[in-house]
Amino acid sequence: MPISAPDSLLKVAGLSAGYGKIGVLNGIDLSVGVGEIVALLGPNGAGKSTLLKAISGLLPRTGNVTFGGQDISRAGPGDTVRMGLVHVVEGHRVFTQQTCYDNLLLAGYGMPRAELATRVEEALSFFPEIAAKRSDRAITLSGGQQQMLAVAQGLVRRPRLLMLDEPSAGLSPVLVDRVLAAAGQLRQAGTAILLVEQLIEKALALADRVYALARGSIVLEARTSEANLPSRLEHAYFGEGAKAPLT
Amino acid sequence: MAAVDQRAPAPAARSGLWARIEKASPLLAVGIAGLCFPLLGDDYWAVIIERACVYWVLVSGLNLVVGFAGQIAIGWVGLLTLGAYTTSAMTAGTALPAFPAYVALVASAAIGALFGVIVGLPALRLRTFYFAMTTLGFSTIVTQVALAWKSVTGGGVGTPGPVFPWPFDPGWGFYYFCLLLAGICTWMTYNIAGSRFGRALVAIRDAEVAAEASGVAKPALLVTVFLFSGALAGVAGGLFSSLQSYITPDAFTFDLSVLFFISILIGGRGSILGPLLGTLLLTVLPEFAAPLVAWSTFLYAALLLLIVLVIPGGIADLLDFKNRRPLERHREIVPRPELLSRILPHPGEPNVLALKGIVLHFGGVRAIDGLDLAIRSREIHGLIGPNGSGKTTTLNVISGYYKPSAGEAYLNGKPLPFEAPPTRAAHRIARTFQTPRLIGGASVLENVMIGGTIDGAGTFVESMLALPRHWRDEARLHEAAMLALAVVGLDQLASVRADRLQHSELRFMEIARALMLRPDFLLLDEPAAGLSAEEIRRLGALIKQISKEGTAVLLVEHHADLIFDICDRVTVLNLGKELAAGTPAEIRSHREVVSAYLGA
Amino acid sequence: MFESIVSYGLAVGAIYAMTGITYNVMFSASRVFSFTAGMLGMLGGVLGAYFILQLGLPAIVGLVLVLACGALLGVVTEIVTVRPVLKNIEQHLYVLSTLAFALLVQQLTAIEWGTEAQPFPRLIPIGQGWLDQQFWLPMLACAVTIAGLEFLYRRTLVGRAFVAIAEDSYAARALGLPEQRLRLASFALAGVIGALAGFTGAEMLLAFFGNQAILNFYGFVPVALGGMGSNRGAVVGGLALGLFQQAANFLVGGIFAAVAVFVVFIVVLLLRPEGLAGGAAARRV
Repeated sequence: MPISAPDSLLKVAGLSAGYGKIGVLNGIDLSVGVGEIVALLGPNGAGKSTLLKAISGLLPRTGNVTFGGQDISRAGPGDTVRMGLVHVVEGHRVFTQQTCYDNLLLAGYGMPRAELATRVEEALSFFPEIAAKRSDRAITLSGGQQQMLAVAQGLVRRPRLLMLDEPSAGLSPVLVDRVLAAAGQLRQAGTAILLVEQLIEKALALADRVYALARGSIVLEARTSEANLPSRLEHAYFGEGAKAPLT
Repeated sequence: MAAVDQRAPAPAARSGLWARIEKASPLLAVGIAGLCFPLLGDDYWAVIIERACVYWVLVSGLNLVVGFAGQIAIGWVGLLTLGAYTTSAMTAGTALPAFPAYVALVASAAIGALFGVIVGLPALRLRTFYFAMTTLGFSTIVTQVALAWKSVTGGGVGTPGPVFPWPFDPGWGFYYFCLLLAGICTWMTYNIAGSRFGRALVAIRDAEVAAEASGVAKPALLVTVFLFSGALAGVAGGLFSSLQSYITPDAFTFDLSVLFFISILIGGRGSILGPLLGTLLLTVLPEFAAPLVAWSTFLYAALLLLIVLVIPGGIADLLDFKNRRPLERHREIVPRPELLSRILPHPGEPNVLALKGIVLHFGGVRAIDGLDLAIRSREIHGLIGPNGSGKTTTLNVISGYYKPSAGEAYLNGKPLPFEAPPTRAAHRIARTFQTPRLIGGASVLENVMIGGTIDGAGTFVESMLALPRHWRDEARLHEAAMLALAVVGLDQLASVRADRLQHSELRFMEIARALMLRPDFLLLDEPAAGLSAEEIRRLGALIKQISKEGTAVLLVEHHADLIFDICDRVTVLNLGKELAAGTPAEIRSHREVVSAYLGA
Repeated sequence: MFESIVSYGLAVGAIYAMTGITYNVMFSASRVFSFTAGMLGMLGGVLGAYFILQLGLPAIVGLVLVLACGALLGVVTEIVTVRPVLKNIEQHLYVLSTLAFALLVQQLTAIEWGTEAQPFPRLIPIGQGWLDQQFWLPMLACAVTIAGLEFLYRRTLVGRAFVAIAEDSYAARALGLPEQRLRLASFALAGVIGALAGFTGAEMLLAFFGNQAILNFYGFVPVALGGMGSNRGAVVGGLALGLFQQAANFLVGGIFAAVAVFVVFIVVLLLRPEGLAGGAAARRV
């Protein structure tokens, strides 16, 4: 029984990628349906960030990636962004020397002026704190606020699929909840989300489905409603890699 | 290829005089051709060959700076100018009473050496482009001074060059003089290239961090090379002024600097034969393209552009047939831990390396927030934790790259200073790196021999002159490296270029290099990353045996299986602090560790 | 005497400053220093003389053509000498590729244009003595350049994209900014600035192929002293260098002035390798 929704927005098949000679991912199969939140969990060094970079085109890869029916296996981030697949990289890398507003404008580089202005306002509406600081340079923001700004950047293009790479890293619990709540709101608006996270409980609470990645392969795929998920995950991380078959 | 367990390590490359001659045969052939040339009696071409020899005297030295050490010293013609005017002025007696020509030549060497160091010193502090600019500025200044200091140099009018007396008087005598000096320079630089100093230079160029970890002191080595290279340039200058018979400042154009540079690049970095052929080629070329003389610099520049874009490896790469032979595809790495007892010393007292209260800031972030850690002989200490917890940073603190804002390190009770990575090798602290650091163009064996650089007894001069201690060092290093490669299971690949190896093989090669130090402490930074399950098992067995032989091992890893399998103690880091420490079993069931690792 | 030192010094300093800015603009877009900055300045003068004196075109037309040639050369530089070597940036091959290209162009100029310095036409018939337009034209051009760049970087999205790529090219790429096109545009812009420097300065420096080497070095000194990537540092450094050089010329003569500049350059760099206003170096391990 297929667990993915009949209309898969993102479909990854046999994806392998690495850095130079170092192979990190071996033949990944993964999918994200329209309006779904999918969590990607796994221990460090498993390749979660590498997987997102391979999907968005920041890294060269072999294998097949389709988005909204179109083949993006050879596409770079410039193309994927315009097609509605946006990748918010880890480490809240915003442009510190520019204002929050300019950071958001840059996220929509190439869009018509008026439309861009509207989208920026939309993005800011998710994060009122950042809206209040729109004319301040990003360097004056705290780490957590910079992370919110980075997620806001991801929203400017009103993506169909938003990929978030460890948005909770370095954030206090309150801010983490805020960011993840924004993710929930996005799902209401129809945006699908692929979320890489270290905080298992929070990720499981938010997501519809979960993949576990360990040592470069998918070792677990399940709906978050299934039983025993935390212990199965622990086993997958520390053990020999329990591939949980789907029921 | 299945590995046979009980085979002996692969035989060392044939050593001895005959093999050495065979290796140097192309150079010898060129030399013999030069010796026989006078039989043709062609005076015109004799001058061309003299010019090539004079240029080669300079280029052979510059080759060590540019081709080996990788310093982009574009303005080296300035030293040629200095040498030329020194010799001329001293023999003509314009500044001091007249000296004999040979004495003046020696003085030129000294002046060249001095200014070689002066021009070269900025390389230790400046970025590449900045350094290139300063050498350019230097050569311009020298030309300006030559123009202005009329009393000594004759200004724009120029000054006559020296005439060397018997036995090297003008005509065939001078020819043999140039050939002799070119031959000596070839021999000396060839010896250096094949010594631990030559390998260390290339290591500085391609894998500086690994060179530091092996104890290579970059400043001392670079200064030595600049001194040597400057001296050669000075001598070339003296010969040049004699060859020209009369020198003016515009004989020393920027074009010459470009020519020297291209000779090295055409020839290929890290080679002696390549740049020699390159120099010959570029000296002789204008003779065949007489109508194009006005375009010569243009063509040189076009040639340089072509080389940089298309064949950065130069002639040497093209002639490297040995490394075109295909390698076996399904190679297995089969370490032989039982050979370790031949490498590692059996310690007397157990060693301890302890960190106390380390605090380290990067910008506003506390990368390490109060850490105590101790690694002991015969103990494998695992260091694990989530991304950003400070694992590799801790390792970098131990190996001396960072200075913490608080805390100390102790080696057997004595304080260990920070911010001095090359000193670690002398303390027998060895390490590997998260991303393998290798010298792509050198063989696997040469890469591993770098690890033993500090154990050489011979000096630079002894290597330069191929004195007995140099050969003893080389033989010992060679043997030790082959043994280390046999231990990690890579001895069959010893003569292969390192950049042809697979990633997992490179990881084991790094361990072989670290073993060359016969380390009391071995720091491993994620050695299992990118290895297959079977390779990880063999790696584990190897590390266990290393520990049994008495070495203290610190293992930073993500692979939980490896950690729990072989470690005696495990420390878990989180946010720069110790979260838990104990035996693997204790850690495995520790609630907080599980949740921190899984992140709840 | 004093006035001529000041006017000549500031004028030549402005040319050095603009050349420094040329270096900076190329550097911000690619993290690479190119040897072509001096080449652009030299060609600004040579091509300007060619268009105005030999082809008889009006000065304005000549200026526009020269700037267009500068942009074109910048584009060629990026495509031929920078893009191919960006992949192994640690090998520093860009030093050699840009040097080779700059040399090619210099030699071509020497062969086709000649090795003698040729006169450059008087552009605007105003002013005389130390107030002559040959002195304040470069200063005006420098001010326009600075003002233009400020406007570009602060008020236009393209300019902000340049600044973004200079700060964090990885994040810029992930955001979907067209890194390669923006880099190409940066090099074209650098070409325009370099050519402008050479054109407005040619009344003083003349149309001379040897200007390339002079501008390469003296245009780099402000960058080294002011901190790489800092245009304000380049302006301050350039003007200071121009004044220092003229004063030294007057006091001790040309040769020693050159030596003095070089010595100051080396000493400052050795004490502060990142320049007087520069930042710290990156992590290596």
